[in-house]
Amino acid sequence: MPALILATKLYLPPPRPGLVSRPHLVAHLNEGLALGHKLSLISASAGFGKTTLLSEWISLFNHLHPRVAWLSLDETDSDPLRFLGYLIAALQTVQPELGQPVQAALQTPQPPSSESLLTDLLNEIAIYPERLALVLDDYHTLDSPEIDANLAFVLDHLPPQLHLVIASREDPNLPLSRLRARDLLTELRAPDLRFTPAEAADFLNRVMGLDLSAKDVTALEARTEGWIAGLQLAALSMQRQKDTAAFIQSFTGSHHFVLDYLLEEVLQRQPQKVQAFLLHTSILRRLTGSLCEATLDLSPGAGQATLEQLERANLFLVPLDNERRWYRYHHLFGDLLRQRLANPPEFPTFHLRASQWYEENGDLAEAFQHAHAAGDFERAARLSELAWPGMEATFQSVAWLGWVKKLPDTAILSRPLICCQLGRAFSDAGQPEISEAHLKNAERALAAAPNQAVFTPLPGDIALTRAYNAQVRGDIAGTIYHAEQAVRLIPVEDVLRRAQAVIMLEFTHWASGDLEASLRAIQTWMDDMRKLGNPVFEVASAFAKADLLVALGRLREAITTYQQALQRTAESGPEAEQITAHHHLGLALIDHELGQDESAARSLQTAAELGQHTPLVDWPHRWRLAQACLKESAGEWDDALELLDDARRVYVKNPVPITRPVEARQARVYIKQGRLDKAEAWARERGLSLDDEAAYLAEYELLTLARLRLDHPRALDLLERLLALAESQNRMGSVLEILLTQALAYRAQGNHPQTLTALGRALTLAAPQGYLRTFIDEGEQMRLLIVDFRLKIANSTHPLFGYVNKLLETFLPAAEVIAQSNIVNLKSEIFEPLTEREMEVLRLVAQGLSNTEISQWLYLALSTVKGHNRRIFDKLQARNRTEAVARARELGLL
Amino acid sequence: MTQLPASPRYYEIRLEGRLPERWSSWFDGLSISWQAGETLLRGPMADQAALYGLLKKVRDTGLILVAVNQICTKQE
Repeated sequence: MPALILATKLYLPPPRPGLVSRPHLVAHLNEGLALGHKLSLISASAGFGKTTLLSEWISLFNHLHPRVAWLSLDETDSDPLRFLGYLIAALQTVQPELGQPVQAALQTPQPPSSESLLTDLLNEIAIYPERLALVLDDYHTLDSPEIDANLAFVLDHLPPQLHLVIASREDPNLPLSRLRARDLLTELRAPDLRFTPAEAADFLNRVMGLDLSAKDVTALEARTEGWIAGLQLAALSMQRQKDTAAFIQSFTGSHHFVLDYLLEEVLQRQPQKVQAFLLHTSILRRLTGSLCEATLDLSPGAGQATLEQLERANLFLVPLDNERRWYRYHHLFGDLLRQRLANPPEFPTFHLRASQWYEENGDLAEAFQHAHAAGDFERAARLSELAWPGMEATFQSVAWLGWVKKLPDTAILSRPLICCQLGRAFSDAGQPEISEAHLKNAERALAAAPNQAVFTPLPGDIALTRAYNAQVRGDIAGTIYHAEQAVRLIPVEDVLRRAQAVIMLEFTHWASGDLEASLRAIQTWMDDMRKLGNPVFEVASAFAKADLLVALGRLREAITTYQQALQRTAESGPEAEQITAHHHLGLALIDHELGQDESAARSLQTAAELGQHTPLVDWPHRWRLAQACLKESAGEWDDALELLDDARRVYVKNPVPITRPVEARQARVYIKQGRLDKAEAWARERGLSLDDEAAYLAEYELLTLARLRLDHPRALDLLERLLALAESQNRMGSVLEILLTQALAYRAQGNHPQTLTALGRALTLAAPQGYLRTFIDEGEQMRLLIVDFRLKIANSTHPLFGYVNKLLETFLPAAEVIAQSNIVNLKSEIFEPLTEREMEVLRLVAQGLSNTEISQWLYLALSTVKGHNRRIFDKLQARNRTEAVARARELGLL
Repeated sequence: MTQLPASPRYYEIRLEGRLPERWSSWFDGLSISWQAGETLLRGPMADQAALYGLLKKVRDTGLILVAVNQICTKQE
């Protein structure tokens, strides 16, 4: 909404000087405040001086009174979220920081519920140090049960600092009888607001300058029943009459509808030009000089002059700001003026001119209304087309649809652009069938229309919208087909729109497990962005690419991807650097996996620093997930669980598929802690079963389930299914994990040969990439399996020998890893006695000789000594010399 | 798919005071007649929403509502 219009809604009308003051009503309102009432309600039909009274009351506030936030409402405010936005804007006229978090939440695509937003707002007000009064003027103009419910909620939870004031022509749908019964309501109604005879006398004689007898005043007061608007019109009429007695006689004697009668009188007595001005400007909801001039084709300055003149003459013109720029007619008067006009022929012209003025002055909403009122539907359609991008961007597609609904089909069907926008609007609203109907209309209109530059983006837009529709319907193949089309049709330079299509492709492929296809889509995108010289997009995509590569088991390539992206960033400057927190984090995690702890720590540090200022909304979530991963590796289970809880709380919905649900990760930690009941509870809640079909997005959870059921034969079947799917999609990262789980399952089921086969496959896969943590984090049970495996291969020329040794060297001391309670703690059955040579070496080791010294002492090559050590350590299940010596002493060898 | 419009109901709305004839267009073409210091608006309402919209107009112009009755189509 234009800032100007908003300011007029928040404008606290100052009291009009010289009017009849109403101290007894003001006192009544003050009493209500003092008694701690929640709501002051002024409920009476039009023309009872509600706003004037409130204005007088507020003008008399002293430092003991609350600070006032004013909001003037009208019919367009009936949307609950917009209403809340204005409410906050009103509060901010008192305290600019109040309600900022809620305001921010309102800007997001899917704001939280009204109740939760209101709760947050009320909590903020509850700690505000001053008292506040929130005035809602013309509440009857809203027509929203939801807003009524929201206000009822506010009243139920009203902080003591806040007082609500509502002025309305009808009783609002709030729990008034309850408030009355509990003495929490101040009410002023028509009988209270009527002028008393004394007030009427004061008004007619002093304010309006008439010189009436008491009898005349009584007669008028009786005829109008103290209705202020009626008395005002009567006075205006009599001001220009000589023969007031005759007027009073005919007025009080007639049955005629007071208002109509008096209005007729007042209007007739104005100069012709003023009459025309009043009647013709009644089509405008708000008036300002230049708008009136444009609408009525007046000379410059004439509009403003007339408005000021009318205000001075008290002819029902209400100023909307302090500078006397904007006005509106008092509602009653405006209604009646409009009634009088009964569509004279000049109207469409006036509306058109007003529409043009509003278009030039940036208010497309009003421009549209006037174009529609003028019957110029082509123009209205064009304005809708202009308004669409802005409205869609601010999540107002529903409001936009409200406009367009008013247009006849003839205005729409020939315009490809608006048809396309309608398609998009219905797609946004989750109604793919209606959307498709409009898209077809768009295509027909395009075929019939002459080639215009403005239509070139449309085919791409149509394809993109179809892709979204397919997505809503859960039609993966359709999504991919249309998204690919969109990528083809949208020119490369149109980066933002093309990004939408590419992202859809990327994530649709990803979610269905076709990571290689997703990778191709991203790679094409990155190449395009590089050609376009758009480094930010290129760098941003790198991180999704790296994630995919890691899932595909291509760690080295992932590292290169990150490094190249960082290189590009260094070349491009600070804007690109801001988003690289993710890249450093990604590198840290890979380094962690590869056991390169120092460089992991460095990357982590950089990531943390960049993360503090990054605009990326998913940073807090990812950061906590990464931290949890590190805690798990360190065996700090409780910390890990807490971090995972935090991560879940700060998760922001985004298109990246969730491949490792946080709850499943927590379940794995529970398993490691031996808290199997909690893990079982998770599995039950998720309804997982060993018979479930293999699917990419379910894989992590199913693997977690398998770990809970290692001794179950059907677990092996499940693992086979998962393995087949992962292999068919080349998802080697998954294959590795599945193979490890298979090894554990085979072992739990006592199948030694298969255990080692599965493990061997896993090791073969993992070795070229250098995976470490995946094995180490499995703990003691894995270490023993690997020990067994090494004994089986026993041969330093076996290609896996070096890798296996490296793994064994990296395992944490057994004491620090908590044993799993349901897994039998298998110790290697084989205790091979040390050979004589090995005993020699061991004795020297026990004496503290270094390897070099031992090699000299025994005339052996250094490598031979080291080989002996290795075998000794193995046989003794020791990690190092100290342990070996200790074990040997335990076993009585030394 | 087109549906035949449901046949409208006829309403009579009684207001205090005499409302001039020319208000008829403001009230969407309802007929205006007078009876003992009251004005009678009569005519078809397409649906309930239209009726409530009309009553809102009555409210907004400060007219005092005396009665709302459904009548049969025959002219009274």
